[in-house]
Amino acid sequence: MAAMMQPQIILLKEGTDTSQGKPQLVSNINACTAVSDVVRTTLGPRGMDKLIHDDKGNVTISNDGATIMKLLDIVHPAAKILVDIAKSQDSEVGDGTTTVVLLAGEFLREAKPFIEDGVHPQNLIRSYRTACSLAIEKIKELAISIEGKSLEEKKSLLAKCAATTLSSKLIGGEKEFFASMVVNAVVAIGNEDRLNMIGIKKVPGGSMRDSFLVDGVAFKKTFSYAGFEQQPKKFVKPKILLLNIELELKSEKENAEIRLSDPSQYQSIVDAEWNIIYDKLDKCVTSGAKVVLSRLAIGDLATQYFADRDIFCAGRVTEEDLQRVAAATGGTVQTSVNNVIDEVLGTCEIFEERQVGNERFNIFSGCPLGQTATIVLRGGADQFIEEAERSLHDAIMIVRRALKNSTVVAGGGAIDMEISRYLRQHARTIAGKSQLFINSYAKALEVIPRQLCDNAGFDATDVLNKLRQKHALPSGEGAPYGVDINTGGIADSFANFVWEPAVVKINAINAATEAACLVLSVDETVKNPKSESAQGEAAAGAMMGGRGRGGAAFRGRGGRGMRRR
Amino acid sequence: MALAFDEFGRPFIILKEQEQKTRLSGLDAQKANIAAGKAVARILRTSLGPKGMDKMLQIPDGDVTISNDGATILEQMDVDNQIAKLMVELSRSQDYEIGDGTTGVVVLAGALLEQAEKLLERGIHPVRIAEGYELASRIAVEHLEHIAQKLEFGPSNIEPLVQTCMTTLSSKIVNRCKRDMAEIAVKAVLAVADLERKDVNLDLIKVEGKVGGKLEDTELVYGIIVDKDMSHPQMPKRIEDAKIAILTCPFEPPKPKTKHKVDIDMVEKFQTLRQQEQKYFDDMVQKCKDVGATLVICQWGFDDEANHLLMHRNLPAVRWVGGVELELIAIATGGRIVPRFQELTPDKLGKAGLVREKSFGTTKDRMLYIEHCANSRAVTVFIRGGNKMMIEETKRSIHDALCVARNLIRNNSVVYGGGSAEIACSVAVEAAADRYPGVEQYAIRGFADALDSIPMALAENSGLQPIETLSAVKSEQIKVLVSLKST
Repeated sequence: MAAMMQPQIILLKEGTDTSQGKPQLVSNINACTAVSDVVRTTLGPRGMDKLIHDDKGNVTISNDGATIMKLLDIVHPAAKILVDIAKSQDSEVGDGTTTVVLLAGEFLREAKPFIEDGVHPQNLIRSYRTACSLAIEKIKELAISIEGKSLEEKKSLLAKCAATTLSSKLIGGEKEFFASMVVNAVVAIGNEDRLNMIGIKKVPGGSMRDSFLVDGVAFKKTFSYAGFEQQPKKFVKPKILLLNIELELKSEKENAEIRLSDPSQYQSIVDAEWNIIYDKLDKCVTSGAKVVLSRLAIGDLATQYFADRDIFCAGRVTEEDLQRVAAATGGTVQTSVNNVIDEVLGTCEIFEERQVGNERFNIFSGCPLGQTATIVLRGGADQFIEEAERSLHDAIMIVRRALKNSTVVAGGGAIDMEISRYLRQHARTIAGKSQLFINSYAKALEVIPRQLCDNAGFDATDVLNKLRQKHALPSGEGAPYGVDINTGGIADSFANFVWEPAVVKINAINAATEAACLVLSVDETVKNPKSESAQGEAAAGAMMGGRGRGGAAFRGRGGRGMRRR
Repeated sequence: MALAFDEFGRPFIILKEQEQKTRLSGLDAQKANIAAGKAVARILRTSLGPKGMDKMLQIPDGDVTISNDGATILEQMDVDNQIAKLMVELSRSQDYEIGDGTTGVVVLAGALLEQAEKLLERGIHPVRIAEGYELASRIAVEHLEHIAQKLEFGPSNIEPLVQTCMTTLSSKIVNRCKRDMAEIAVKAVLAVADLERKDVNLDLIKVEGKVGGKLEDTELVYGIIVDKDMSHPQMPKRIEDAKIAILTCPFEPPKPKTKHKVDIDMVEKFQTLRQQEQKYFDDMVQKCKDVGATLVICQWGFDDEANHLLMHRNLPAVRWVGGVELELIAIATGGRIVPRFQELTPDKLGKAGLVREKSFGTTKDRMLYIEHCANSRAVTVFIRGGNKMMIEETKRSIHDALCVARNLIRNNSVVYGGGSAEIACSVAVEAAADRYPGVEQYAIRGFADALDSIPMALAENSGLQPIETLSAVKSEQIKVLVSLKST
């Protein structure tokens, strides 16, 4: 705006920050690389964790790219795009969130010198898009299917995928243990799409190794009234009644009022109320159920009534848990105790109340439908368990993805190196500027193995050269070679079972390219002054009849608004 | 985040309120965190072991806690630093899971951090250190399982359990009567334990304290003690072969839950109402009498009228007994909690051999003992002591001992204390270190050194020469180990 000569035309409201052109593009790129530098060190099995604490005193320790990005509270508009792609990667495939941010940052970094040299961004964008689709085709070609294997074989293959994901997390030390747990849980829910059928319960205390998988449902003992301890705590093949009503002595209608004129009728009212609740309880008992669960309260009266009849009950079970119990045991949640027939009752092999850490847990195991699984996580500190939960979530997503798409690629930077080589080779066949751009795209892909080495404290250049040599072998036998994190050399990732589902890589490359193109396509940012003052001013301006000014500002904004809208 | 500048030289903001945020990264961050962790460990170090010192903690409103229990100390300290908070959580989770060893876990964590700092300074990658620690901890745990011995015990042979509990108690303030305390804890746990399922529900053990008397007066009651007295001062103070009605309904005319109104427009009606009320009281007391109850325990209060009536009909009663206690009484006496007078039947009454009210010293405090119960699945540990702080600390100590006994019932293998297990592990880890190629070797050695810090702290706290003692013990252990191998 400074370039405008007199007479000065005020186009935008005062305080509005606009910047445009090449410098703006470059500064956007700078912001994005700055953000990707934050998560850079978390990549890979030797990646470091970040501890983030906010002003409310919540502490999060995480290695998960999406979680870190979310907590960073980024306001820079261009950098926000990176947060969004991390989030979308998280919700789409669940893992590879660090990878995607890193790749996007690196694509931009590679683009920067071209921009500075005056290349039109659209040229870059077009080449990047071509490179991206080429890369994805290559991945699909390289991917190896695990379809058609027996269940046992599949399980062990899936466990390998899960282990690769987990190796970069805090619980990496116990990755085999957790990987098999995750695979069992995912296989247990079968083709069921609802992820909430895998419950994760967190109990502080004990060690990671004390975590266990329940092939059914487990939840913490609910609040109980006097008499609860007299109920039996273990059943074999019980019938389970699930309710969504209160079993409590209370007024049936909130606003009803009873007027008595004859004091002797008093007793009959009292009796009538008691009869209502006794009737309900009696119906529960006659249904033959041995375990009664309700989403609403089960009062002290009911607790004692059930205790008298050797029935276990738990009130105020959370909606989620109740749904899981319903799915696992084959029961249906009832909203009335009338007409409880056998079909609506669920059952399981064993029901038990057990001590886990400092809590007592209700555990339903050996469920007939088996569409649920619950992982009970143990660990030293809350933050630790939280992070373990996030890691397991990633692993669960990976296994589910792998189960659905059933193709895997070699991890440890091997696939990235191979694509990079392929793109370089392809670039040579192109005449024109595009050759340079695709080459730079190929170079950007190498950031994954390079960062893996950097984080592990190896000499990245050395390892990368070795990898390039292997991948350049004309026979193609070098394709699965990646960084060997243990020795600092290179190794066949495929043979070492460092596997990733192909879909993770495809999605990561896609999302990263899109984000990079998006940032490259923006050449102007208009930033309004702080919203509250802007609104105040706008309102004041309209009222005081400051003619034209407010309107022009709005029009100006509308007409020249940012691209992203 | 470092301030970024755009092409115009203006700084631009990436994070919200960037200036107010601080960021530590790299070695500085690790050093700062280690320092915080070490600081917490240093505070607890002196509380370790039988000769460990206690800490006195005062909260702003003047309440004082004296404790030797790591979890309690850290809980009360109101730690602010994030890393230090992790240490607090660590000790809390040890408390939840095991119930004892809360000090040891923090001291060990501190020592591990201390070793890590040295390794970091030598330029070893932190993740390699972490990996080495994990390897080492696996070796140590395996070794522990190897040297652990199974304890044989049964309901008739409780000596091994008592001995183990004594080890725990010896580091507490109550160590002068640790034998008695340990016996109490073991007996209590065995009384409520389900030996077949190896499950112990500690909720069934009530720990009650009363200021006065001396520590030696602490006793285990096979039954329940309630901090209540009879509702009427003239009621009998001692009932033998009591049949107890456990009620959750008040001794007053029942009220419907629905809003109601009684219209009284004549004197006659008022009199009928009055009579009916009286009849209610009469019926209620009569009902209890009819089923043969000799004691009424009620969750709610009574009208004065009911109280008088109960007294008159010679039916002792206790009022305002809390829900949890009520439940324990029901479990102990084998009775059922009755929510309504109409439901009262003779088989729902609980039975106790002796119910007595006991007053203490010169105070007017009285407590109700319900003893010789039909089913002693609920027990009470009744603690006496000079002052409140003492009793609170004793409660915590008993809790630790209860947990130890419970853990033994769950898993009956033990290792030897006094730092011997740590030294044995340290030796094993040290020996295993040489087998690992790579940088982890250093971390594993660091782990072994950190393990030594427990016996060191023990020796230090006991006023011994830490290094001399440690090396003497270590050489002795290795000597025995070698001789074992050679034979």
